[in-house]
Amino acid sequence: MAACSGSSSETSSGGSDSKSFEFWSFTGINAKGSAEEYKKIRPDVEIKLTEVGNAQETAQALTTALAGGKVPDLVLIQGDDLPKFVQQPQNFVDLRTMGADKIKGDYLDWVISQSTTKDGAIIGIPTDVGGMAIAYRADLFKEAGLPTDREEVGKLWPTWDAFIETGKKYTAATGKAFIDNAGGSIYSQVVNQGDQKYYDPAGNLVYEQSPQAKTAFDLALKAVAAGITAKQSTFTEGWSAAMKRGDFAVVSAPVWLLGSIRDNAPDTAGKWDIATIPGGSGNWGGSFLAIPKGAKNPQAAWDYIAATQSPQGQLDHFAQARSLPSTPSVYQDPKLTSVKDPFFSGAPIGTIYTNSLLGLKPFVIGPDSTTIGIEFTNAIANVEQGKGDPAKAWDAAVTNIKNAIGG
Amino acid sequence: MTTSISATEVGLPPAPPEETARRRFTEIVAPYAYIAPFFVLFAVFGLIPLLFTFYVALFDWNPIGEHVFVGLDNFSRLAGDVRFWNAARNTVSIWLLSTVPQLLIALVLAHLLNHVRLRLALFFRMTMLVPYITSVAATAIVFAQMFDRDYGLLNWLLGLMGFEHIDFTQSVVGSHVLIAVMVTWRWFGYTALLYLASLQAVPRAIYEAAAVDGAGGVRQFRHISLPALRPVIVFTIVTSTIGGLQIFTEALLINRGAPNTCGPIRQCQTLTLFLFEQGFTQFKFGYAAAIGVALFVMVVALAGLNYFLSTRIRPVKG
Repeated sequence: MAACSGSSSETSSGGSDSKSFEFWSFTGINAKGSAEEYKKIRPDVEIKLTEVGNAQETAQALTTALAGGKVPDLVLIQGDDLPKFVQQPQNFVDLRTMGADKIKGDYLDWVISQSTTKDGAIIGIPTDVGGMAIAYRADLFKEAGLPTDREEVGKLWPTWDAFIETGKKYTAATGKAFIDNAGGSIYSQVVNQGDQKYYDPAGNLVYEQSPQAKTAFDLALKAVAAGITAKQSTFTEGWSAAMKRGDFAVVSAPVWLLGSIRDNAPDTAGKWDIATIPGGSGNWGGSFLAIPKGAKNPQAAWDYIAATQSPQGQLDHFAQARSLPSTPSVYQDPKLTSVKDPFFSGAPIGTIYTNSLLGLKPFVIGPDSTTIGIEFTNAIANVEQGKGDPAKAWDAAVTNIKNAIGG
Repeated sequence: MTTSISATEVGLPPAPPEETARRRFTEIVAPYAYIAPFFVLFAVFGLIPLLFTFYVALFDWNPIGEHVFVGLDNFSRLAGDVRFWNAARNTVSIWLLSTVPQLLIALVLAHLLNHVRLRLALFFRMTMLVPYITSVAATAIVFAQMFDRDYGLLNWLLGLMGFEHIDFTQSVVGSHVLIAVMVTWRWFGYTALLYLASLQAVPRAIYEAAAVDGAGGVRQFRHISLPALRPVIVFTIVTSTIGGLQIFTEALLINRGAPNTCGPIRQCQTLTLFLFEQGFTQFKFGYAAAIGVALFVMVVALAGLNYFLSTRIRPVKG
């Protein structure tokens, strides 16, 4: 698998071949489209694109590749998986050497700081961020006697408590569940809305004392106790089936979830709409492009990053693939603000999602953030399924986390 | 190794000395050359990875970072890890729930398929292999849909009959049963064909003689089929021990809400899934390797125990 063509032989010694590079991406973010766009401006460059799998599978494949020494030239890493790689920066090209210093001001500073090491090395350029909002079924809201206009709906829930109260009204009126599940639609949203999640600004683990985590956990349990959840874990068969049948009316939808709703329940097109999230702001997710240290053609990979991740490049990709730009200079651009999604009743998704980023308080994401989040949501799910005791759930989660990250 | 009998003593003409030496050399080497491919492949793909796993288990091994020697720390931590014992319990439970019915069904089916007057015998024998050649992933997805709590076919039927829906994926017993059903469904045909092959070696005349003597199907099964099958039963018990302790895909796919733990309380996380979680989502290769070693010891011990028991328990004579 020698990635470079035989004609340009001197790949190892400075004179690198910038005519082709190998790119590992994950599915669902339309890397293909982005690569095709790039071919229009650089027809001479050959991109060997592999969509490895979902984001986690791609990170696993990258780990194996780094351990084994056969790496791609360019790789997309999801924000949640990034900290483990940032902790081992020796595996990646410090993008400052390629010119990242000059463009780092283009990106939301709290996002680019996630891929910046303690020594200041930049190992990834943020391709997108995960602004948050609420997707709801306007037709089902109407049946339940709730307002359907997205402005009005947003006003129903200035806070998460008001959101749960609305849920109770909906469930009382229809007899059906309001949200899909408490872990995904409440806990994971609320916990991403504070200025401190599981780590303090110095990078110390503080999940046990984190007010944000405790608030999010208690709100999720409150929703469970209110009986407004469909108890369907996100991305399962039951979740898709319930979504198709309208067995829940609301899903908390970070921008990357919109595609799943569209794909899972194509027949519900036009019945959905999007309203602001309780609390107004928050971010969940986003991805980064990185160049492994062993890349054969780092220059070709960097040329691609520089061209496609410029504010204009990200704006174009948003119009085409709905990945929210991490470059705030385009947030007022009519090309962004005018994007309306017909599947979601023409909601102006560009504005709604970028607004959720503007009031954002950044927080530190650490190497064990994902694990901690999984243990908390598992404890919530256990109560939701009727197996766990809500009074003991927090302590159980903390014990499990200690076990998981210590062991 | 010297031989005391020379060529002349057994009546062969004496060979020139250099030719004897060459022939003796090739005679000694040739058999080893013939069997070498297997042992070379086994060394490269079996033994070396195995030994490397033992080695990695002694380290705090970050695949993309440092490798710190920690001696037996991983093992002592494993011994005190509730998640490990939970996974071990789940694995043994799922293995028992799947192996016992699977082998029994296969035995009965093989006996029926071996019946002389079975019409379309070849057709039935071939269909046994259909579950086996179906991809595990497809099987798991279809079963997960059939056993779904709210929208599954099975629970719909239970609902029609007035029963409560059973939450297969979220409860301990339910999830074990669901995985065991998938494993059984996948393997019973394969096992049945192995038994059938062995049964076909039994001369028809024996069955006919037994029938003439008045032995019915059940007696024929107990006194002719079962003893004939003993070696292959031992074989299938050992192989299903090895396979059953390594159940992975089914467990991974039935609980996609919490895939690596097979549910919020790790209710169906098997040892291989726990290994995968530690190695590939936590990047703790040393700890994962220690789990691998523990699994290896368990497989060897259980397979050995099964072999010991199954070679000693003989069918009742009478």
